[in-house]
Amino acid sequence: MAFIELKGIIKEYKTTHALRGIDVTIEKGQWLNMVGPSGSGKSTLLNIIGSLDSPTAGEVLIDGRDISRLSEDDMAVFRREKIGFIFQQSHLIPYLSAVENVMLAQYFHSMSDEKEATDALVRVGLEHRLGHRPSQLSGGEQQRVCIARALINSPQILLADEPTGNLDRENTKIILELLKKIHAEEQFTIVLVTHDPFVAQWGQRILTMEDGKIKCDEFLCRL
Amino acid sequence: MKKRWFLFFFRKSVAQRRGRVAIASAAVTLAVALMTAMIGVTVGIREKLGSELKAYGANIIVSPLREGDFAYDALAMIAKLPSVEDATGQVLGNTFVDQQAIEVIGIDAKKISSMGWRIFGKWPEGNDEILAGINLKAALRLQEGQRIFVEKDGTKKELVISGFVEKGGAEDRALIMTIRQAWTVTGTEGRLQSILVRGKSGQLETIGAAIRSALDNAAVKTVRQVALAEESLLGKIQLLMMLVTLVVIFASAISVTSTMGANVLERREEIGLMKALGATRRNISLFYMAEAVLIGIIGGLAGYALGFLSAQAISKGAFNSYIGIPLPIPLAALCMGVIVAIGSSYFPVRGAMKYDPAIILRGE
Repeated sequence: MAFIELKGIIKEYKTTHALRGIDVTIEKGQWLNMVGPSGSGKSTLLNIIGSLDSPTAGEVLIDGRDISRLSEDDMAVFRREKIGFIFQQSHLIPYLSAVENVMLAQYFHSMSDEKEATDALVRVGLEHRLGHRPSQLSGGEQQRVCIARALINSPQILLADEPTGNLDRENTKIILELLKKIHAEEQFTIVLVTHDPFVAQWGQRILTMEDGKIKCDEFLCRL
Repeated sequence: MKKRWFLFFFRKSVAQRRGRVAIASAAVTLAVALMTAMIGVTVGIREKLGSELKAYGANIIVSPLREGDFAYDALAMIAKLPSVEDATGQVLGNTFVDQQAIEVIGIDAKKISSMGWRIFGKWPEGNDEILAGINLKAALRLQEGQRIFVEKDGTKKELVISGFVEKGGAEDRALIMTIRQAWTVTGTEGRLQSILVRGKSGQLETIGAAIRSALDNAAVKTVRQVALAEESLLGKIQLLMMLVTLVVIFASAISVTSTMGANVLERREEIGLMKALGATRRNISLFYMAEAVLIGIIGGLAGYALGFLSAQAISKGAFNSYIGIPLPIPLAALCMGVIVAIGSSYFPVRGAMKYDPAIILRGE
């Protein structure tokens, strides 16, 4: 059985059809990149997989459990247990240090542990930036804190929405190398949204979307 | 352990928004200060007005219907009636000083110093000390500490004038002493010529009826002017204070609501992130409500302190003395601060719960 299974996903807003019947399965440990033009529905689909949003119709099965009809609080519990998020903007809390931002994710999951949070930042190469606030970090460093925050609770799925969208090529490469290394070690499932063809090549599969539908589903063998 | 981390993140969050917390706390402080001052002054005025009016006399006067007097036991019986706050007997008679007839007023020794009279000299202390009306000072050429001999029906007694009374009434031309001393110098052992009653405002007619049915020969007079003035003045003051307090509480609630609303709006991204990290609505509202409680506690305590000082300043100005604020008031002030802060934060926090993290985190 597929780890993530989307069946007939439709998402409608008042006047727009964001998703028009998506059927896709993703195996456990797979790295899937979603590409497509703006408004093609890739971020909406990512949010539905991450239980940040609910589909208008269809089923979202994750590890055999349908999450499409969960209550708001049940969705929150599901997120904290299974999902790690990385966003285009880092969304770090400005008044917390790097290590405290990671500890906040631990706090909502179970219990903050400064040593574990420190280890997570060391793992992404930020041992010299533990006590720095987001404003004292570069864009690339901020995204590395986000990776540490997303992975601190050992999620089964990492969802990344344009994680390198604000970075230059050099930092993009650093982030992708880091993700590749950690993915190889931990084998969690990655669903990454990007419009950058360079980034899209860094996975095992590329799902191209257009106008709320899957246009192309291509398997690579890079990893 | 979880609590420790909650406090850790809460402290960081509040430290970041010290300015907003201070503004909201100041609004609560103002409301609580006014409430404390109003209650304090109202209670104080009731006390002070009571004692000031007491100086003009009791609000019920019981005298014998026909020629005669009451047994001393009647006083205890009246004092036990419902709604009677205070009752004291008076011995009214006369005696002779240097063969000159002088009025004698005998009153309860315990009440003598609490009558609100203006005294020149000192209050009587020993068994032979008495007060004299200010008019007698000139008429009998009396001096403070002077010994006088009073005589009635062949019985002589030596007394000492400890001070003089100036009240603007019958007392100014009488010798004022304890009931026991008066019994001795007037020869009316065990009898009272008048009973002064202080009843609760609004209950005077009921008290009067109860006294009439208990004592056959009692003529009960209600001092209406005193009672009505007291009731009407207190009622108006209380109403005014209540209205002003309500207006200020309302204004304070609006201020806290707008501060919390701005706070929530400012932290939109943070709320979206917390939701994405798996925070439930309860987790998030806990942070905001804790902030509201903190604002309430700060505002409640500071408001109480400010209100207490204001009440004392008002009382000092109006009555030239300080007032005692009842013990439950500090607790009520604290509770009110917290209630105003939580109540005012309810709608902003409810709004925060509705934020859609997917939209916020996309930067829309």
